[in-house]
Amino acid sequence: MGSDLFERRALISGVGQSAIGRQVGRSGLALTIDAILAAVQDAGLGLDDIDGLAMFPGGGAANLPGYANGNLYEVQDALGVATTWRQGIVEGMSLPFYGPAQAVATGQARHAVIWRTVKEGSASRQAGGRPAYGSTKPVAEGPLAWLLPIGMLSPVCQVAPYAARYMHEFGVSREQLAWIPVTQRAHAALNPDAVYTSPLTVEDYLGSRVISSPMCLYDCDVPVDGATAIVVSAAETAPDLRAPVRIEAMAGVVEGRPSWEQWQDMGRVGYGAAAAMWARTSLRPGDVDVAELYDGFTIEAVWWLEAMGFCGTGEAGAFVDGGTRIGLGGELPLNTWGGQLSGGRLHAAFGHTAEAVRQLRGEAGARQVAGAQVAAVTNVGGFEAGAALLTRF
Amino acid sequence: MDATTGIPPAVTEETQVFWAAAREGRLVVEGCSSCGAESFPPRGMCRSCRGRAMIPVEITGHGVVYSFTVNYQRWLPDLEVPYAIVLVEFPGHPGVRVAGRLRGCPPEQAAIGMAVDVGFEPGPGGYAIPSFVVASSGI
Repeated sequence: MGSDLFERRALISGVGQSAIGRQVGRSGLALTIDAILAAVQDAGLGLDDIDGLAMFPGGGAANLPGYANGNLYEVQDALGVATTWRQGIVEGMSLPFYGPAQAVATGQARHAVIWRTVKEGSASRQAGGRPAYGSTKPVAEGPLAWLLPIGMLSPVCQVAPYAARYMHEFGVSREQLAWIPVTQRAHAALNPDAVYTSPLTVEDYLGSRVISSPMCLYDCDVPVDGATAIVVSAAETAPDLRAPVRIEAMAGVVEGRPSWEQWQDMGRVGYGAAAAMWARTSLRPGDVDVAELYDGFTIEAVWWLEAMGFCGTGEAGAFVDGGTRIGLGGELPLNTWGGQLSGGRLHAAFGHTAEAVRQLRGEAGARQVAGAQVAAVTNVGGFEAGAALLTRF
Repeated sequence: MDATTGIPPAVTEETQVFWAAAREGRLVVEGCSSCGAESFPPRGMCRSCRGRAMIPVEITGHGVVYSFTVNYQRWLPDLEVPYAIVLVEFPGHPGVRVAGRLRGCPPEQAAIGMAVDVGFEPGPGGYAIPSFVVASSGI
């Protein structure tokens, strides 16, 4: 199956990150350059090899303070490279490496780097707490016009009704779901770059304050400062690369009603993207060794566990209960870097992709999953959803 | 509970009918003059038959809470918390789901399946925002 799939003509060749922390005293541009230089070196390439640049989101998407940072042309100017392909988008970023893979698979670039830079940690400190969605603008535009005026002032408020509906339909409890952040915290303790590493217990989780019911503090990812860059290279350049990783299959699907509050079945999310991805590979869920599933909130990891077929619909509560299956020694180690819940909100599966690449190379240090050959990476959920399998080269 | 602290909507050619009706306490969605399907939010195009001739349709009668959240976080200075946000659907009006606040009971009593009546209250920027009221038979 699928030797003509375009993603098979692309490799993820490098990942790199800046310092990551609740607050990092550096500019967005400096963080971006740090991450790009690290990623290009990680790929075994030099800056002059880079001929494609992409950032997410493109400039101007500033609904959340600290969410969007910089401008692609300023970065290109700083790097002193020439490009034959560029992309700065807001809508349609199903997976970080999707656009770059299209570019290198079609010959528009040989080595494309995409980055995501966040300064939401600093923005939160400045605001005296996690700031309101849309608070950078005087009025709520587009889809936000139906949310912000009624008091759905954060992505937390958008996603909380999904969690409420899911728990209602399937009888899943907070005691069960607690095992996702609790287990990921244990993973973060083995990641020197994670922002929260102290032990977390189910009791801590149940005792924490509710932000937007049923979601509590530990259901929400951690705003941070930091940048992640990913280099995607044309498959024929493999001999030039230090340690590339294959893209076995990927898909990005927007289905149903593309709106947070209008999504019809809030108990089931991500199924379209997962099905489209599985249709592009002969691998099956049981072949996956490590799962880096988007976790802006706990419930988003739940969506992906079920949509990807790692467990049945409504069964994630039982699947994660006790943390054994999703722990490092379990059948499906989940978010081995701590995820966004403990590793930091690097956003849009950039952190998840970096971790998947490190796991497949055997470069994940104390949190390495022995012999990892196949990694799942998913992004967001809700209406914009991306799913991929990466494999060892 | 005051709901005026917040961020007002940007009103567009498609949405001005909704916000004008809201000021009068009426919930108006789009109806298709070709096939009769109803939809919200207004897009100026029927999601069932793709017709372009959309007309305002008022929704009255009970709605049912599809899901909800109770927000405790003070996202903005002066924001009064906690408050319940409900996603409401209407029997006999497939295709219509409206998000709004909930009044008439303590926020902690919000529940999936609860019956509510259409209502509005003063929101940010002088706009009237959807604010559903627990129906007398609702709890």
